[in-house]
Amino acid sequence: MFEMTRGDDGTIRLRGRLDAAQVELHTTEFERIASSCVLDFAELEYISSAGLGLLFATHRRLTDAGGGLTIVNLRPYIRELFGIAGFDRIFAID
Amino acid sequence: MVDERTFPKALASLDGIFAHLESFYRSELIDARTSLSLSLVVEEIFTNLVRYNTVSRNPIVLRIEREGDQVRLELVDHDVDRFDPSTLPEVNVDAPMAERKPGGLGLHLVRAIVDHISFEYENRVMRIAVVKNLERGHV
Repeated sequence: MFEMTRGDDGTIRLRGRLDAAQVELHTTEFERIASSCVLDFAELEYISSAGLGLLFATHRRLTDAGGGLTIVNLRPYIRELFGIAGFDRIFAID
Repeated sequence: MVDERTFPKALASLDGIFAHLESFYRSELIDARTSLSLSLVVEEIFTNLVRYNTVSRNPIVLRIEREGDQVRLELVDHDVDRFDPSTLPEVNVDAPMAERKPGGLGLHLVRAIVDHISFEYENRVMRIAVVKNLERGHV
């Protein structure tokens, strides 16, 4: 199960498990992100390469338009995956 | 004892696979961090079989067993063409964003997580087996 909700401050909160099946269901929601924003990972329990790929595609699209994604509240395990993938040098992480 | 299940060759099987793995983790008292790693490894290999071994739609066999301080996982795909993921080029995780290319990240994560990985192909059957040492202190 995965869901994403946008708060009043514009922050998008990701919740649950972003696996390959969920990526297929939620790609359109990421494609609708039209400008720079903060993704809150506090409740993101799991992510695979499919989810990382979707984040990367979204971030690159926004970066090409002069913006980008900022990611906050990564759990230690997911932060480690970001390091293995080299994403810690690509994304702004707070 | 080896636990063996088959799952339809479709991404929709992932929920059932994860539920099955969670049951194994509970029975073997596998910690949460290692559980996440093992689930990631299974997902990456399974989704590769779904996406690239498209000749047949036979169900995929998942075997999992604990031997002391090791967990051994094996995924078996029947009636498929030869495809050895180990021959794929390594993804360059140090490349800047503009030079990053899609593909290869899943196998890169698997290689980083497991302690041993092997690919076998015989009589149109592909077997991918991994071993993870439970005492390993990182991802």
